[in-house]
Amino acid sequence: MAASEPGPRMQQASISEFFEKNKHFLGFDSLTRSIITAVKEAVDNSLDACEEARIPPVINIEIRRVQGRKDELILTAQDNGPGIPYASIDKAFGRLLFGSRFHTISQTRGQQGIGITGVVLYSQLTTGKHTHIISKVAEEGVAVHVDIGIDTKRNRALKSNHRRDVWLDEHGIDIPHGVMIEARMKARYQKGSKSVHQYLRMTSIVNPHAAISFRMLDEDGRVIEQASWPAVTEKLPAPVKEIQPHPHGVEIGTLQRMLRDSEQRRLSAFLQKNFSRVPSARAQQICEIAEISDKASPKRLKGEQVRALQAAFKRVKLMAPPTDCLSPIEDLLIKKGLAKAIDSKFVTTITRDPCVANGNPFQVEVGLLSGTDMPSDSPIEVLRFANRVPLMYQQGGCLLTKVIESVDWRRYGLEHPGGRGIPKGPVAILIHLASTHVQFTSEAKEAVSENEVVFDELRRALLEVGRSLKSHKRKSTQRAKAREKFELINDILPEIAAKASQILGREVPELTPVITKIMKAVFIEDEFTWDADEKRTQVNLVLFNYTARPRSYTLLAKWPERDGVEIVDDSHEGRREVYGLRKWKLDTLESGESVTLRFAITGLEKDEWTETEVFFRGAGDIIGATRLDEKMLDQMRREEEAGLLQITEPEFEEAIEAFTGVAERAQEADEVGAPEELDVEDEDDEEAVRQTTLEDGWGGGE
Amino acid sequence: MTERREHSREAVIEALHGVAAEMHDRMSKGESPTMSLPVRTKKNIQFDKRLGVYKYGRKRTVRDASSLGSARQLLRALHIIEFIEEMIESGKSSTLREMYYISEGWGNGKFGSQNESNNLAEDLEIVTRCLREDFRLRPEEDGSRIIGNMTFNELNRRGEWMRINARDDVGDSGYGVPYNVEAEKIELVEHDVDFIMAIETGGMFDRLVENGFDEDFRAGLIHLKGQPARSTRRIIKRMNEEWNLPVVVFLDGDPWSFRIYASIAYGAIKTAHISEYLATPSADYLGITADDIGAYDLPSDDLSPKDIEALKAELTDPRFSDGRWQQWI
Repeated sequence: MAASEPGPRMQQASISEFFEKNKHFLGFDSLTRSIITAVKEAVDNSLDACEEARIPPVINIEIRRVQGRKDELILTAQDNGPGIPYASIDKAFGRLLFGSRFHTISQTRGQQGIGITGVVLYSQLTTGKHTHIISKVAEEGVAVHVDIGIDTKRNRALKSNHRRDVWLDEHGIDIPHGVMIEARMKARYQKGSKSVHQYLRMTSIVNPHAAISFRMLDEDGRVIEQASWPAVTEKLPAPVKEIQPHPHGVEIGTLQRMLRDSEQRRLSAFLQKNFSRVPSARAQQICEIAEISDKASPKRLKGEQVRALQAAFKRVKLMAPPTDCLSPIEDLLIKKGLAKAIDSKFVTTITRDPCVANGNPFQVEVGLLSGTDMPSDSPIEVLRFANRVPLMYQQGGCLLTKVIESVDWRRYGLEHPGGRGIPKGPVAILIHLASTHVQFTSEAKEAVSENEVVFDELRRALLEVGRSLKSHKRKSTQRAKAREKFELINDILPEIAAKASQILGREVPELTPVITKIMKAVFIEDEFTWDADEKRTQVNLVLFNYTARPRSYTLLAKWPERDGVEIVDDSHEGRREVYGLRKWKLDTLESGESVTLRFAITGLEKDEWTETEVFFRGAGDIIGATRLDEKMLDQMRREEEAGLLQITEPEFEEAIEAFTGVAERAQEADEVGAPEELDVEDEDDEEAVRQTTLEDGWGGGE
Repeated sequence: MTERREHSREAVIEALHGVAAEMHDRMSKGESPTMSLPVRTKKNIQFDKRLGVYKYGRKRTVRDASSLGSARQLLRALHIIEFIEEMIESGKSSTLREMYYISEGWGNGKFGSQNESNNLAEDLEIVTRCLREDFRLRPEEDGSRIIGNMTFNELNRRGEWMRINARDDVGDSGYGVPYNVEAEKIELVEHDVDFIMAIETGGMFDRLVENGFDEDFRAGLIHLKGQPARSTRRIIKRMNEEWNLPVVVFLDGDPWSFRIYASIAYGAIKTAHISEYLATPSADYLGITADDIGAYDLPSDDLSPKDIEALKAELTDPRFSDGRWQQWI
């Protein structure tokens, strides 16, 4: 028998009593929550089974009110997974808390509570009904149809009405493989932020490879709510690798169980064989510090010795655990997942590199989306996930929420009264924490507990998406302003000239000098298009000189440089300046002229890259681009030489903030000042920018 | 007596061409086209001692093509000029509302709202020193009503002069004042009243009519219908000057009444360019004042936030700079 199953002691107490006592963390503590938990257990099972069998999951959920019965629902959940062989059905649906004696850990969805068995048990306890199962495996000709109940005295599955029969879909076609469960339970369906709909929506966001559909039927069969989220990628998540626990992350209870189950007779061997990153020298050292003989029998250690052993782990320097065991969603797929659930005009995502906190590998991913029809005066939508499982309850007490609250979102253009609490605006923030061991505040597994390392890592990720949001907002305002100006000179001004001339019967005046007087600036417009035939992103950067004199510039643009991604067909033969930054030296641009810089990027997916940041060197500002800060460039060069391609130092992040802040203020001052002071020469404005920049200690310029 | 300035067709067209020429000249010199006009806010009205009314001061604003919004205004002004010129040449006229609808076809020169087109027409009046009657543009304002023993000659739509007595020839709703009350349309023939009483609200006007106030007290009653239209102010002015009748303005005594009185006695901000034709400086304020409410312990409603806003705006309005007004407000 597996060690973590309810042992002989458990069998005497009634299993229903155990369920009753623990229903708050099993997720069945209220009528409205029970249906969500039931759906969740079914969906988790289906996703795990499909991923293991490498089948793109298709999951249908249907809930129906029972006629004439208050607060009674029938849940039907169907998947296209591999199916469960008849012999394993009772194990899968009818047994509580079965674990593994092999103490490996991995990033799994993890059963919340007792898994699908909880649904079977809850149905039985509240309605007396057994759960109907249909299962079909590809190898067998017909499906298994069976009702499952729980023998609460003996903790066993009760199978009844077993028959073998065909299983057809609504078109009368054989279903090749999959599982369908139908459970009837006391539960209440509600809409809103804590609902089945929201749970499935969130699940679909972090499982872009899954197709999920949902229907809610009234007691007379009328559809009262329905939704479907298609799969947006064929790429299944990488199979998670199992690793042994790292001594720095092991908890006392786990350690005790591991010692009890040990197959090694000596403690030093036990340490080397069961933990990652413990070579023999370190095992010896641990035993010495714990003052236990390295030959001691692991099974016979006393309570205080176990504690001494755990304390000793902390005092030994060990290599960090391997992090390749994690399976992040990856930023592009988060982008696609968010896009299918929420209409958006801007999405930015980031997957940070894996890290280790207290011996546990973890990885954070953050997505920020600015929606098209989300309310602008209510708090932003927070979407929390741990190992791809949506967290819907206890938002306030969760580390993931606290990190969002720790950022002053006013700096990134969101409304955030007093810089405290959740910011407001038409924005959704997604946070995904992937780890072999997510620490929750309680058994209910709804809120992630405090951890400094995870907190800092998440905060960095949030600041990064915050910066993208800010730069996007700045770009959209600039773009809107530029668009207005272009409309002015291309449409309105020629009409004024034509109409005035027509009224007076005079010649139409030459407008080029008028245009430079009105615009008195250099503009840059960027244009991104997806070339479906060539599978590449086409980028055009158009520079207009609407000043009275010639201008010459060097332009620099950020691009997603990495292996397999290349710039091709570059019209102006740019050169690499530093990692991720390309440079083009342009010929002098005469007054009133424009030049188009064209290039394409291969190796990217559609919508993967739709916005860049353009910098420039040269005299006079460019609306739509930022003057290159040479110090920032030097820093980037040093980072590249040191092999640190990511800019993570907080001081440096603040420095970038300070710098872009100055540039913006200068630019705003320039834009505001321009229409009033018609006679001011361009040079004065430049001088002003340079001075402001110098005062703040950031020397801009050539 | 203030006679309306007569403008010949040629003079009006020439004045309008001046606006287009300012733009054309600037563009020919390689500059942004402009249209300059006086600032039309309370900050730029001042008392004209000679005329006894408030007129625009010297502050001028230059509208140029540096922003999309103001460039559009210039284009719209040109469209209006062209439209007026066509009407003058073909001898037609049009209402401001019609012009607004016609502007739908002006592409980039179309208006966002009728308020915008009305304002721009007023801008053109100011710049060219013409009146909208010269432009063949009529308002669709509700004319006011007059009751009392006064006789008018009105040129009707068949081109015949009609003699109307505002007591004997009209029903209880009174004589309806047309939008054009200039001499070519209306003659003030004779009267047998001692004074003109202009009344803010319809309820009070009807009450006085019902009680035979006009006959008992030998009064000419005129209903203002809230903020009075140009034609209402103009006919009050004419009756005051041509018949030499004193004018009293009977008001409710709320913050808005002060403005109504000011527009009759001192001149309105929006039409300060023609205050001398519209304002009646000798008009007296009749009705409850702020002092009365205190002095006679009258029941009163609390001021709404909008009322308070209106009062605050009045405190900085030069027309209410006098000590008595400041105290009332």
